Amino acid sequence: MNITQKLSKNRSVLENKLRDLLAKPVFLIEEDAFALPCGCCGITANARGLQADDLEIFEDHIAQYLKEASLELDIEPSFLFARIIPGTSEIASLNSRVLCNRCYMDFARGSGKKPRPDIYILSLDRRK
Amino acid sequence: MMKLYVPHVGHMEGLQDLLSGPDNIYAIYMAGTPDYVGTGRTNLGAPGIEEIREQTEYAHDKGVKMEIVLNSSCMGGQHLTPQGFNKIHWYFDRLNDIGIDSITVAEPYFVEMLSKDYNMEVVVSVLSFVDSPQKAEFYEELGADTIVVDPVVNRDFAKLEAIKESVTCGLKLLVNEGCLYQCPFRYAHFNFFSHANGPGPKLNVLDDYYYYKCLSLRINDPQQLIKSPWIRPEDTKRYEHITDTFKIGGRTHFTNWILNNVHAYTNRDYDGNLMDLLDCPRDIRDLFYIPNKELKGTLDQWKQCNKICSDCGYCKRLTERIVRVYSVDDMQSTLQPLKSTGGST
Repeated sequence: MNITQKLSKNRSVLENKLRDLLAKPVFLIEEDAFALPCGCCGITANARGLQADDLEIFEDHIAQYLKEASLELDIEPSFLFARIIPGTSEIASLNSRVLCNRCYMDFARGSGKKPRPDIYILSLDRRK
Repeated sequence: MMKLYVPHVGHMEGLQDLLSGPDNIYAIYMAGTPDYVGTGRTNLGAPGIEEIREQTEYAHDKGVKMEIVLNSSCMGGQHLTPQGFNKIHWYFDRLNDIGIDSITVAEPYFVEMLSKDYNMEVVVSVLSFVDSPQKAEFYEELGADTIVVDPVVNRDFAKLEAIKESVTCGLKLLVNEGCLYQCPFRYAHFNFFSHANGPGPKLNVLDDYYYYKCLSLRINDPQQLIKSPWIRPEDTKRYEHITDTFKIGGRTHFTNWILNNVHAYTNRDYDGNLMDLLDCPRDIRDLFYIPNKELKGTLDQWKQCNKICSDCGYCKRLTERIVRVYSVDDMQSTLQPLKSTGGST
């Protein structure tokens, strides 16, 4: 399979797992692999219909699904997070990101789950 | 004969595509230059005055009318300043010189201004939210030649008939807007668009909150798809005692999508997914399947509906019975019943 076929399959597998878990037709409207100039890279699954309550109740499951999706694309699942529309219950995307050193410091500085109003950390492997 | 107003993205190539066939297009409409008056929806094109002139001439050569949509629902008071008034008046002068057939506006001040000083047909936008005979009378008094009725009353025939009785100006119905019925975000969202797509500083917006909520509400409660006050192509004939003029929404879509709508509404027939025809919830077109043919007869129910959903449940039952969800397994897309994918109707 080429990269687009892998992404396509990855998107639908993750979507189906979320639908089975949450019993509603969560829609992953787009899944992208990305590489940023700073050195960060990873995948983003843009979501519609996924809400903060879903995440709070099923956080472990969703984190596990995202980890599996990440591994399936050979992306180390060292930092998994959801992007939330600030001040709302709407989750815009699920993300697996391999952080560059600078961005790692930005995200690892605090110990809570929300280093920014729009970020909800599902897991972060702390470096020594 | 149905008069169909058809959206156009705003560039000459798109217009040539749109008017290349034998379709029965009465008029096309597009946004103007956002430097003067914005619009209440997103736009792909921002044609300048010369581009509008060229495209108007092309449309007229094809026997098609040209309408410019300047339906900002919030001008932030700019139009009331001397500078703002002069700038907008200058722009209206230019459009008048070009020979534009009609201008759609939402701002009441523009309705009066256009009706007093220009010969162009003055069209009151859906974003003026005319949903009652009283409001229709106000706008007619201000100078409206045509009112595009708020789709919220598209299925309320008593209200439509009362509006028809109360005014002598033309009425136009928007058939495929696809917005939520009684949407709580309607005013705020259109005001946001008006600022984002109008003169003045551009907003640095992270996310369109209203659009996220709009989609999320439907995914979590798919009966909202059915309650949305669209008009099926087959049902347009049921509105002929109200008007013969219909408008297709969707000026950010590809020409192919627009022409699919034109064919459906001119033929008054569509055998496929109703979601294909709706303008607004575009992002979930690949999520839900609503077989249009299975909606036959629904208007009879909605014509007598008192809109108290908790007492009725018709739309809920209909949703459970006919709406399906696209699901992809092993790279193959299949349709699943709503219940199997959750979806609390």
